[in-house]
Amino acid sequence: MTKALKLSIKPEQGILEFLRFLLENGKVKGVFTLNKINKNGAVAYSLISNSDELNNAVPFFPIMPANAGKLLSRFTLKGGATEPVAAVVKPCELRAFIELVKREQGKLENILFISLTCGGVYPLSKAVYENVEKYLSEYWDVVKKGEISVDLRSACKGCTEFSPYNADITFDLLGNNDLDKNCIVFLNTKKGEEFAKGMNAKFLEKELDNKKLDKILDKRKIEKKKIFDELETKMNGMDGLIEIFGKCIGCHGCSKVCPICYCKLCGFDSSDFEYRSSNYEAEFRKRGGIRVPPRTLFYHLGRLDHISISCIGCGSCEDICPVDIPISVIFKKIGESVQKMFDYIPGKNIEEDIPLITFKEEEFAEVEQ
Amino acid sequence: MSESVGISENKGAVISINSSLEDSVKDLLKKSMEKGIFDAVLIPMKVPAGDSFVYVLIKDKSLLNNAFPIPPIMSVQGAKAISSVTRLGKGNLKIAAVMRPCEIRATVELTKLNQTNLENITLISMDCPGVMPISDFISEPDKAMKLFDNAIKTWDDKIMRPVCQMCDKSSMVASDLHIGTLGSKKDTFFVISNSQNGKDMLDNLGIKLKEDIDTWRAKVKDNNEEKMKKRKKTHMDLKTQIGSLDNLIDMFSQCINCHNCMRVCPICYCRLCYFDSDKVKQKSEDYLQMAKSKGSIRFLPDTTLFQIGRMMHMSLSCVSCGSCEDACPMSIPVAQIFSMIADETQEIFDYVAGRSQEEPLPLKTYNEDELHEVEDAHD
Repeated sequence: MTKALKLSIKPEQGILEFLRFLLENGKVKGVFTLNKINKNGAVAYSLISNSDELNNAVPFFPIMPANAGKLLSRFTLKGGATEPVAAVVKPCELRAFIELVKREQGKLENILFISLTCGGVYPLSKAVYENVEKYLSEYWDVVKKGEISVDLRSACKGCTEFSPYNADITFDLLGNNDLDKNCIVFLNTKKGEEFAKGMNAKFLEKELDNKKLDKILDKRKIEKKKIFDELETKMNGMDGLIEIFGKCIGCHGCSKVCPICYCKLCGFDSSDFEYRSSNYEAEFRKRGGIRVPPRTLFYHLGRLDHISISCIGCGSCEDICPVDIPISVIFKKIGESVQKMFDYIPGKNIEEDIPLITFKEEEFAEVEQ
Repeated sequence: MSESVGISENKGAVISINSSLEDSVKDLLKKSMEKGIFDAVLIPMKVPAGDSFVYVLIKDKSLLNNAFPIPPIMSVQGAKAISSVTRLGKGNLKIAAVMRPCEIRATVELTKLNQTNLENITLISMDCPGVMPISDFISEPDKAMKLFDNAIKTWDDKIMRPVCQMCDKSSMVASDLHIGTLGSKKDTFFVISNSQNGKDMLDNLGIKLKEDIDTWRAKVKDNNEEKMKKRKKTHMDLKTQIGSLDNLIDMFSQCINCHNCMRVCPICYCRLCYFDSDKVKQKSEDYLQMAKSKGSIRFLPDTTLFQIGRMMHMSLSCVSCGSCEDACPMSIPVAQIFSMIADETQEIFDYVAGRSQEEPLPLKTYNEDELHEVEDAHD
């Protein structure tokens, strides 16, 4: 049995009341959450110190303008948080932050992690070309039923890690049919219990409804298989990869928004990877023409090589791609295969080392010569 | 900036079109390779999947059969392509580069910034109808191709990038050789040389420059004036939209700091942008302090600062190509804004980005007697 809160209001209000409680009672000095930033409904993560500013906060808004895990890494890169801060993040964003902490790109201390059982986010284009506000009632209706919204990021549609790991506090939203009137908030850790003490709500002991979550998991698994199978038809060896990545313009936006890609200067942007005229002249001994700038596909294969072990499948890469390459599906699919080989779920267990830095003498005998 | 730039020759050549303009241009290139005038040609080709066009450095002239001198989109800015070939020094190959006028102007700027070496390169431009926004093309390539082909026939720019629609430098500016389609008689095009390099190429091909090019010159002038009118109006409208700091912040409020604009920009060549460096990374207590003093801060902060900073660094060399706007995931009219600022900053120094290789970069030129109007009054 876990300690929990029951708030007798809908979750979008409930979270605001909880954050207000934390700020006004001095339990935290800052709240890190999504904020409305203009009249067109655009949202951005903000660090809020004054509880009045919470009036514009929309913590559960179904848009991810940047992966919060990457932002929390920036917040704690030059030293951990010196005062308590509550961060409202989606499960994949929290997993991303854990993976970054393992890489010494962030620190966990003084952050109260508040997450939710997640119904996914819409692609950024929905915020650009339409008004996401118009979709909110439909979105919450689908979350209530534990189903999958049709317009979500493909990464979200097939997401099987919608229940957060490592959150101190979890708003259990998915599949609750009284979601417009109540929300159940699990206090997973002692820290979560401490921070929630004094909150004006009904305190109870509850168990996470695994049957309900399993039903939702099944739906997500079916959707994931559909999405992966569709990609499989295009993954036709080298030719298939060239077809998929041919229109890549080398903007490297995918790397820039990826939480796991933290390198200050990517190898592919460094002088190590620069061609000089002699390289081109050497290539011409083998073939009649070469695309310039070169190494379009190599960049993606290299990035897969480096990050697939920790890809948490948030889908930020696909949103940013100016030419609509299904990058997140490719990276998620290959990422999961790689992770399966090591029985590793990125971001699940802070104690578990990244397989890349773990040496076992007895493994993968099947790939040895 | 509407004065004719770079037109130095009085006569040109008139070439007959056999099957298509593109084929005739490719024939010239093929002949040049056969005669050893060039060893390689840098020119766009269609990707295997057919949904984009990319620059290819072609050594085997038979590949020219599949080249597209005037593709409907600009996937990678040509100046970036050519810089990736010669940034570390000229090679042994003599290369002809067939690019859009703004790509050539960006190449000229990059040369002045020591990011490109043009010693063995011949730059070939053409009268440019513009390019389509890449997202318009990617969604339905075949349909888009048809639209573009029609647009070239009528020189109708409605489907092109917004900055293409107001481009008054879409003809010959800084190339060695120019393909002039405006004002030419039916089924012909002009070939105009703009430098000794260009003249030498034509001499070696046995093409004499003895035809009148006044009709081309007149049509280019008309086109530039029409575009200039549109440019002035659009810039004026934009100015009222972003005139105040609040409005500027509002315009960029949707910016998610992905920095796509910076990375596709040909002029932004820094390997590690200042805005990605350690200089902008602060401690958590500093961020918390900022949040306390303002009530809340956007995280990460400095969205507008990045835009203004980038403007400050590259505005004097901005060629208004529009690659930034194509790459913006939030549809911010960043090219229109940057091109407006660039026109004004360049005008202060009577400078036009990419107009001439000889013209030094204003940022590197010191004049003791200038800009008195911005000095402090002494009394």
